[in-house]
Amino acid sequence: MEKKFRKYILKISIFAMVDALVLFFCIMFILNDDIIISSIIFVVTILLNWLGFSKKSYPLRYLLPGLTFMIAMVVVPIGYNVYISFTNYSTGHIVSKDQAIKNFMNREYFPENGKKYDYIAYGTPESLKYLLLHSENDEDTLVDMEGNVLDFNEIKHSYDDSGFPGNIDNFYVLDQKEIFKNIKELQNLKITYLNGWLRLGTLREFYYYIPQYTYDSKKDILIDNKTEKIYRVKNAQFVSDDGEMLDPGWTEVIGFQNYIRLLTTEKYRKPFFSVFLWTIEWSVLTVFFSFVIGLGLALLLNDPKIKMRKFYRSLLILPYAMPAFISLLIWRYGFYNSDFGLFNKILNSMFNITIPWLNSPGWARFSVILTNVWLTFPYMMLVSLGALQAVPGNLLEAARIDGANGFQRFRKITFPLIMISIAPLLIGSFATTFNNFTVIWLLTEGNPITGIGNVSGATDILISYAYKLAFIGKAGNELGLSSAVAVVIFLIIVTISVLSFRRTKVLEEVADEL
Amino acid sequence: MNYKNKIWSKIWRNLIIWIAIIFAVFPILFIIGTSFNPANSINTTQIFPGNPTLENYKSLIVGENNTFLIWVWNTLKISFLTAGISVFLCSLAAYSFSRFRFKGRRMGLLTILLVQMFPQTLGITAIFLIMTWFNDKIPFIGLNTHAGLILVYLGGAIGMNTWLMKGYFDSIPKSLEEAAYVDGATSFKAFRAIILPLARPILVVIFIIQFIGTYSEYMIASTLLKGDKMYTLAVGLRLFVGQHYDDRWGPFAAAGVLGSIIVIVIFYSLQDLIFSGLTGGAIKE
Repeated sequence: MEKKFRKYILKISIFAMVDALVLFFCIMFILNDDIIISSIIFVVTILLNWLGFSKKSYPLRYLLPGLTFMIAMVVVPIGYNVYISFTNYSTGHIVSKDQAIKNFMNREYFPENGKKYDYIAYGTPESLKYLLLHSENDEDTLVDMEGNVLDFNEIKHSYDDSGFPGNIDNFYVLDQKEIFKNIKELQNLKITYLNGWLRLGTLREFYYYIPQYTYDSKKDILIDNKTEKIYRVKNAQFVSDDGEMLDPGWTEVIGFQNYIRLLTTEKYRKPFFSVFLWTIEWSVLTVFFSFVIGLGLALLLNDPKIKMRKFYRSLLILPYAMPAFISLLIWRYGFYNSDFGLFNKILNSMFNITIPWLNSPGWARFSVILTNVWLTFPYMMLVSLGALQAVPGNLLEAARIDGANGFQRFRKITFPLIMISIAPLLIGSFATTFNNFTVIWLLTEGNPITGIGNVSGATDILISYAYKLAFIGKAGNELGLSSAVAVVIFLIIVTISVLSFRRTKVLEEVADEL
Repeated sequence: MNYKNKIWSKIWRNLIIWIAIIFAVFPILFIIGTSFNPANSINTTQIFPGNPTLENYKSLIVGENNTFLIWVWNTLKISFLTAGISVFLCSLAAYSFSRFRFKGRRMGLLTILLVQMFPQTLGITAIFLIMTWFNDKIPFIGLNTHAGLILVYLGGAIGMNTWLMKGYFDSIPKSLEEAAYVDGATSFKAFRAIILPLARPILVVIFIIQFIGTYSEYMIASTLLKGDKMYTLAVGLRLFVGQHYDDRWGPFAAAGVLGSIIVIVIFYSLQDLIFSGLTGGAIKE
């Protein structure tokens, strides 16, 4: 009993310490203006406390650590992706509207005949302390290095013969060299002054800059103070009446626009559909050929009369055992390279022909499928071997006695039987191939490009196309559009999953358990 | 006649098998041969070099290409931690699903089943943006950190692995734990002392499959990691050979051989275990 009590005390003190620490961090984050992160930590800690002390929560204690990761790194990203697909998130539309306006508010211009100030710097050789700004028409202004305007009379100073103070607050006038040593500090200085601000314009002078834009929040327009042009909101951007667009724009929800763009505009419709068709072609052909080869080899190896079956099997699974990224690079540079690659060297020396393995659309498609079949046939062979073991021998024997030949026995008995267990795996393989970014990216990066200005290439599959739209865009990154493509893939996978669920009946299993 | 037929059938069977073996093994022989080639240049490479040398290997380990070692270290570290932590987390979750009956259990199982259908890479844009956001707020798990990458991998590993483990745990009879409960054990004690030892085979399989999967992962790593010192082997090697394949072909071949060995050794020494996991539905790229 006493042991239990001691344990309980230990538990409470650990929780108390962690909670105190978390509270400290929360306050730190709030002071740092990170409300979101602070509240996330806060909620998580409350949850942890509940988990630790409530009896009801017992199963969750085991569950939550894993589920948290899954939700944070799979469910949230996919959900967020769906959201992005309904926004105009792209180059030039990355920040929020408030941030964009803030950006414009910080822009400045120096008007013609604007005010200029020369300055005297006070401080030590190591750092600047005060600046005395001077212009012909104005009174002198004293500022510190945080940009605050100071009252000259409140600070101790003494004049020398030049008419300017030679000493302020016991700091002396710095010479040119000492100023240049600390020029970074000067360049960062921004002094709020009247309607605008003072900033270093040349090395010797401060300029009085005026904000270039005024934002009218009632009318939601931006006015250029210099040209007096008016910019109105259009497509999440400020646009003037004569069509001039200001960068940056901002992100906003645009409904189904991305999907509509994908399906109807000339620029995206054609690439999207050709990529879509090729993705299906690529998955079907890969799975078909690697299954045919894998099953064929499995049938050959399943014959107990063949000696060294295990040895053969070990050699045949090498492509599967090797890390794919290494073999893909070997195929790409060692075999397919049109000048130095092994294939062309052999073809060239024997028949004097060169084949553009990865450089012409047709050959590139052939090559990526060939390599992917090489990568995946061992898997098909292994699962076929496994399934063949389960075919009852007496059934085949009975068929043989009834006079069925080898091919008939395969077609009527073996094949239907093994398909029961293999079909779901084929569907799984199809889904994997459908999204096999690595194979395409390491072999061709989706290239060759089929037309000038096209983002997509001949071997791009949907996921590599989406990746290119998001990260490799030549004309900017189209994250919204890319997410829309990802959502299309998502829907296709849902369909495939439903199909495979029907076959494996896993769902019913889950339902049966309760 | 019948005898002759049998001979022929035996010959063509063996012939087909050997053609397939050549198809399967050839790229590997090619890279091994290349790695012992004296010349770096892809143009003069011979598959069976006349005067084999270890120059290429030396350049990777002590020579000018020794960032290779950093990549290997990064990859092993990331794969090991991902596999280890995910086995730990998944065994906890699977135990809960397998042994407790609680509100929301069914929902949880369905969620896991559905989530593991979707490749995490579909959310790559969002993952990138989330990591960028982390970069501002919690830099040590943000973009271009190994900790961040491991977090992303862990998220992707949970669904499938928990599902597989739960199936295995279900097959372990409950009577053993009940005996332990009678003796006064807590449920965590029963989990640690009874379930985990009995479930060792599935834990090993999942560790290995996860390790190999993480070792070869390219897409997420290449999106999140920037800079020579941070790369994993997959990202690093691609860039290494990508721009200079003509004069780095030899070192690349050696790197390919070294980079494959560890995975191939693990794979072959545990092949029977892995195959049983495969036919159970654990398909990983």
